[in-house]
Amino acid sequence: MSRRLLAALIAGAAAAVGCFVWSSWPPPSRYAPIEISFAVVGLSYMVAGIAAWQRWPASRLGLLFSIVGYLYLVPYILINLHNPVAFTIGYLTETPLYFAALAHLGLAWPSGRLRSRFECGVVIADYAQLVVFSVAGTLFWNPAFSGCNARCPANVLLIGDGSRPAWNTLGTIGEYVGLVISGIVLTLIVLHWRSARGWSRRAMVPLLWIAPAVAAETVLTGGLGGLFNFSDLVRYALLPLVLLAGPAVFVISTVRARTAGGALGTAIVDLEPGASPTRLREALARALGDSTLQLAFRQPDGAGYLDTSGQAVEVVRPDPGRAVVPVAGSDGAVLVYDEGLRLEPQLVKLTAAAASMALEHSRLQAEVQAQLEQVRASRARIVEAGDAERRRLERDLHDGAQQRLVTLSLALGMARDRAAGADPELGLLIESAGKEAREALTELRELARGIHPAVLTETGLAGAVQALAERSPVATTITAVPDGRFPAAIEATAYFVVSEALANVAKHARAGGAQVTIQSRPGRLVVEVSDDGAGGARAERGSGLRGLADRVASAGGVLRVDSPPGCGTRLEADIPCP
Amino acid sequence: MSVTPDPVTAGAAARAQVRLRVVIAEDTVLLREGLRRVLTDAGLDVAGTAGDADQLLQLVEALRPDVVLADIRMPPTQTTEGLQAALEIRRRWPGTAVIVLSQHVETEHLFELLATDPRGIGYVLKERVADIAQFTGAIRRVAAGESVIDPEVVSRLVARPRRDSPLQTLTERELAVLALMAEGRSNQAIAGQLHMSPKTVETHVGSLFAKLGLLPAAEDHRRVLAVLTYLRR
Repeated sequence: MSRRLLAALIAGAAAAVGCFVWSSWPPPSRYAPIEISFAVVGLSYMVAGIAAWQRWPASRLGLLFSIVGYLYLVPYILINLHNPVAFTIGYLTETPLYFAALAHLGLAWPSGRLRSRFECGVVIADYAQLVVFSVAGTLFWNPAFSGCNARCPANVLLIGDGSRPAWNTLGTIGEYVGLVISGIVLTLIVLHWRSARGWSRRAMVPLLWIAPAVAAETVLTGGLGGLFNFSDLVRYALLPLVLLAGPAVFVISTVRARTAGGALGTAIVDLEPGASPTRLREALARALGDSTLQLAFRQPDGAGYLDTSGQAVEVVRPDPGRAVVPVAGSDGAVLVYDEGLRLEPQLVKLTAAAASMALEHSRLQAEVQAQLEQVRASRARIVEAGDAERRRLERDLHDGAQQRLVTLSLALGMARDRAAGADPELGLLIESAGKEAREALTELRELARGIHPAVLTETGLAGAVQALAERSPVATTITAVPDGRFPAAIEATAYFVVSEALANVAKHARAGGAQVTIQSRPGRLVVEVSDDGAGGARAERGSGLRGLADRVASAGGVLRVDSPPGCGTRLEADIPCP
Repeated sequence: MSVTPDPVTAGAAARAQVRLRVVIAEDTVLLREGLRRVLTDAGLDVAGTAGDADQLLQLVEALRPDVVLADIRMPPTQTTEGLQAALEIRRRWPGTAVIVLSQHVETEHLFELLATDPRGIGYVLKERVADIAQFTGAIRRVAAGESVIDPEVVSRLVARPRRDSPLQTLTERELAVLALMAEGRSNQAIAGQLHMSPKTVETHVGSLFAKLGLLPAAEDHRRVLAVLTYLRR
């Protein structure tokens, strides 16, 4: 809104209230509450008008609020001017016209536009009937009928001395016509509420609550108020305060929009990382207060857009009552929202930005996840390749060097037997050569076993772990080990855990005994090695435990080390196992 | 400890003038031929040699030898073909004695073998072939229905550290007797080797069985299994 218009509106409101106070000053103490009430109600609509204009420059709501405010206050100013013309115009417009403006406002809520020609007709008819009945009534109204004698200025439109019955009759007919129109307006508002969805429906709710109250107020302060025995104070000072509900609806809608802005931020922060588009849509819809919000994605084959529930969404020409905003930075994602939100472009922008951020986050998350997956897979492959290489090495040693040494030993044995009789010295020499060969064999056997335990490949974990326990320098018992076979990588990892753990026990733990438990649980293999030694083992300190943790991690598992000083060490590897 | 020819069975075989018929399964040609030669020189009848497990089974079926000598690892997978063939032979021709040659000290294969029937079973480290006299002695013992367990395997089991085990209460003598029993020796052979009277050996056996809570076993082959199983626990 331009500054000049804003200034004009503020000046207008100030002038109106100023005039109101000046024209009725000093107020007779009886009327003071009534006049304060009038001033407050009129001013509240003027202020709401300025604020609404400010907030929704393109909408007529600001104008409508202002009109209600002026129509409410100006007649009283005119009446109090003690000028016959002003007095007559004031009387003409006194009660009724702001009714029509209120009905107009109610029907135009929340967009500021009337929804149909019919509704335009209803509003025009309302204004028209009020003008007609009030002009007609004024023709017959002698101010004396209303109890103001010489103090009142003259009614310049009065025909003759007026006619009380004609004035009364016209007034009553006007009341009833007004009643019918109020009913129509209320019905229309209920229909608006029922047909609205999402944001618009939420916007209609407060109006739905206050509309009957305001309608009742207009009826009760009008002629029908006479049916009840209200005191003037109630009828003219307290009841009009109900009208404050109008600006209140505006305040509620403003607060709601502000809250939604904050809630969007919170929703995005609270959204779990990598949340699905469905979750994102739910979070945004909840924060925004538009349950109809759709998050739709362009289909790769150009087959239009699908929302998160798999529904096709028309994006180029959205359905009536729907509007579309693209989500920046995303590959063809759009938000489809309730058209009522067009009034809150900031909110729409904020929602789109939040969606964009979350989608981008998810995309990055997925990318990192994919990279992590790749790194995991390549790590597992590296370990497996290492294992395979060790198996190959062990086999080469076995088939090559070990066999040759055995053959050599056999040949030396034969040579020794031959030489023993003929040349004892040679026999001894050959004997010592044979001994060397046997020692070489023993060393080679241990070397080969260290490179890769053949018994693991040949018989599986049970045999291999049994062998580890048998050769452990610390008394080791096996409480459980599954007999079945597992994938080679998993067997190798489990074996490595037991082997390293027992080596650590022997080296560092100063333990009297160790215990190995391997259990096959659904989807995983749990390897546990515990001892009763010194404890205090830490993964950071020894590269052994670190290497073990790496090895377990390469199989996608977790290594837990529980080693309080003085209380032994418990090592548990949890290895996923299909 | 060393494998020495059992004087009793060796003597018996010699007296009976029986030439044991042996089939050798070993995929390394040099070693196979070397073995054929030393065994023949030692007075055994090498009836046939095989380079893999299938060939071995065919030979055994055709020749029905007294003893089969099989390398555990053979083609095509170089894992436990020899062991599987040995089990198959024991199943199909229960009277055939089998010695498997291993390059591991692990007990897993040994127990797989013993689980069927320890009589006439041998589990020997491959390098033992270098001591020809001991090795042929082992073949004769197995042929005579004894069990022959490689001393290195047994000594590892005996030397295993243990906590709160009755084994710790055994005397050195008793431990030596226990180890020889685990190798498949008869009381008489143990007596010879440890330079004791058979009576003393029996006393030791009785006392160590009581200490370990094992039921005294009359037959040597049952005794082997009981002792080995105890040691492996």
